Amino acid sequence: MQKKRCIAMLLAGGQGSRLGLLTKKVAKPAIPFGGKYRIIDFPLSNCANSGIDVVGVLTQYQPLELNRYIGSGQPWDLDLTNGGVFVLPPYMTGKSGEWYRGTANAIYQNTPFIEQYDPEYVLILSGDHIYKMDYNKMLTAHIETKADCTIAVRPVPWEVAPSFGIMNTDEEGRITEFEEKPANPKSNLASMGVYIFNWKLLRAYMEADDANPESHNDFGKNIIPAMLGDGRKLMAYSFEDYWKDVGTIHSLWESNMDLLTTPPAFNLYDEAWRIYARNPIMPPHFVAEKAVLSNSMITEGCEVYGTVKESVLFAGVRIEEGALVEESVIMPNTVIRSGAVISRAIVGENTEIGEGCRVGGTGESEIALVASNVTLAANSVVAPGEQSDGRKEEDSK
Amino acid sequence: MKDVMGVVYTTKNDFSLRELTASRAVSALPAISRYRMIDFTLSSMVNSGIRNVGVIMQTNYHSLMDHLGSGKEWDLHTRNDGLFILPPFTTKENTGNYNGTLDALHSNLSYLRRSRQEYVLIIGNYSVFNTTFNDLFRDHINSGADVSLMYTKDNSDGRIGRSVLTEHSYLQLDGDGFVTDIETGSETPAYENFSMNVVLMKRQLLIHLVDQAAAHSMHDLHRDLLSPFIHQGLLKVRGFEFTGYHRRIETVESYYQFNMEMLNPKTRAEFFRNPIYTKVRDEVPAKYGVDAVAVNSLVADGCIIEGKVENSILFRGVRVRKGAVVRNSIIMQNSDVQENVEVENVILDKSVTIRAGRLIGQKKYPILIGKGVTL
Repeated sequence: MQKKRCIAMLLAGGQGSRLGLLTKKVAKPAIPFGGKYRIIDFPLSNCANSGIDVVGVLTQYQPLELNRYIGSGQPWDLDLTNGGVFVLPPYMTGKSGEWYRGTANAIYQNTPFIEQYDPEYVLILSGDHIYKMDYNKMLTAHIETKADCTIAVRPVPWEVAPSFGIMNTDEEGRITEFEEKPANPKSNLASMGVYIFNWKLLRAYMEADDANPESHNDFGKNIIPAMLGDGRKLMAYSFEDYWKDVGTIHSLWESNMDLLTTPPAFNLYDEAWRIYARNPIMPPHFVAEKAVLSNSMITEGCEVYGTVKESVLFAGVRIEEGALVEESVIMPNTVIRSGAVISRAIVGENTEIGEGCRVGGTGESEIALVASNVTLAANSVVAPGEQSDGRKEEDSK
Repeated sequence: MKDVMGVVYTTKNDFSLRELTASRAVSALPAISRYRMIDFTLSSMVNSGIRNVGVIMQTNYHSLMDHLGSGKEWDLHTRNDGLFILPPFTTKENTGNYNGTLDALHSNLSYLRRSRQEYVLIIGNYSVFNTTFNDLFRDHINSGADVSLMYTKDNSDGRIGRSVLTEHSYLQLDGDGFVTDIETGSETPAYENFSMNVVLMKRQLLIHLVDQAAAHSMHDLHRDLLSPFIHQGLLKVRGFEFTGYHRRIETVESYYQFNMEMLNPKTRAEFFRNPIYTKVRDEVPAKYGVDAVAVNSLVADGCIIEGKVENSILFRGVRVRKGAVVRNSIIMQNSDVQENVEVENVILDKSVTIRAGRLIGQKKYPILIGKGVTL
């Protein structure tokens, strides 16, 4: 196996339980985003654009959709002879074998995979965030500062800082303290969940961590505090561009809406940093005689006969005449029947919203959600903030 | 249809398509927002289960090569068989143009000999249709014919008139569907069965016929080869009717008409019933601005629309800026209709920029602006 200086390990096993019904059947990294992408397209495209050509994707929760989507890795130019993308599920060894117990344990269990490439550095990523980042610049910084570990950080508003892993640094950017979700944060630099480790050192720490039955086997809770405690050199790498954790219904919705502002808060039109995706085989989208479209993103296979405002439509969505979609995200192959009103909502894939349905609310109302693969009977109502799988109403009656 | 190989014969330049084919083969002509003409033919073959396709290129095949690449979008990038690009072998005598299908096939005999499938399907890429050839193949086997030709009832209504592209062939059929006469190149054809240049036969028979044809300097498959062989009773040739959507793309007008017909939801649904594959460009979804107005149009990914679009076909990466109006037009990849510009009944080729003013053509004779022009 050809030696690689740096390889990436992408943690894609989390359920993303805060996304409720959306992640009931699919892992969070496979959730559609931005009209034609899935969340995992962002770290994978970042790898491709950064010249990192070995990516191990660690899956555990509902991996079918993710496995199918990643396939040979061809959309990201990761179908290579020397390298490529590899899906790494938990596996059995002899009579034992176990699930991934934590983020660090997931990497530790894949030590043989990593060692094939004899890397100096390992880049740890997660499939939870929307951002464009040149990992190669971060690696250069890591090498230049002779750090043992470099953690990408991003300033967040002080009021939300208590919900992040916060890094306290000195003036050179060296991390002095790491606090997981502190009540009274001393800094507003949040960890982006992007780490670069010197592989041999990381392996040693993971071995020690694995021997400790009390450990959560987690990077944030165990490995990083242990390294800090030993006085290792941990550097913060500051990233100022767009980065969003799309872990909740609201943040997923908001991040989609960020594509619609002028200029877009998150710009996908960057020729030098394209985001790649598995493209559906569909005709161009069609806007009909009576269609009304305003400030929206629409992609291949859509057929718009009704009104679409401030919304993101995924491939193959059909909006019938007389239907209204506002400030909403409609995932692939969903049909919105005539007279339905969807406002401030996310509607999952392959779903049918019956005639005259009312989903979501107006103003600053909470985001409503309709699950994937369901049929919402005509004239159903899904209130703001409510999640519906189409059966809810009858059940509650 | 694993035991059938495909050969696509791409045409040379055609002057009746004016600038549209100045720098590209007809097969590379962009159509319906995101496709090229060859996509329909290749997808039809692939959707029929054909796994070995040779594409015979002529002069100006650069954009076609670029489009097809390794054939991965058609799943033809396989270890065995797959896509074979067959460029002309230019010598002192050969300038890169073939004198018809037979000439082209003769130059590629080694590819035909090397292939292992029992049957070969040859398609001249002059027209638009999307189908599968499984019924044709079944009919061919069941009828015991030596050669099968796909035909359609002529839909040209005399509008196309004399073609300069190629000499059309019309078939006379007997009651059992066998061809009794072929008429080629007539200005007033006696038969209405238009041969679609879709020809099926055994590979070994084709190799034999092509060899014979070269020995007798025949060029046109229908006129020089099939017609005399039918009359001499040497070949049983069968006609197989295609009743789906079929258009000949031979003039700027017919090109324009065909694209506009795709705005009809029924026509489009029929045409796209089988998936059509094309080169992936990784474009962002189309973005409509706050003041955008778009009606009855087909729009590809990567477009940014801030103005008004009506009854039009927009290719990938087109910009229609604030106050601009695009009506009854075809706007190809990366063209830019700038602020307050009005265009109607126009075809803008790739990367055209219209900076100011109005450009109004006639529906029957749309204005055509060549590739890369800035006005």
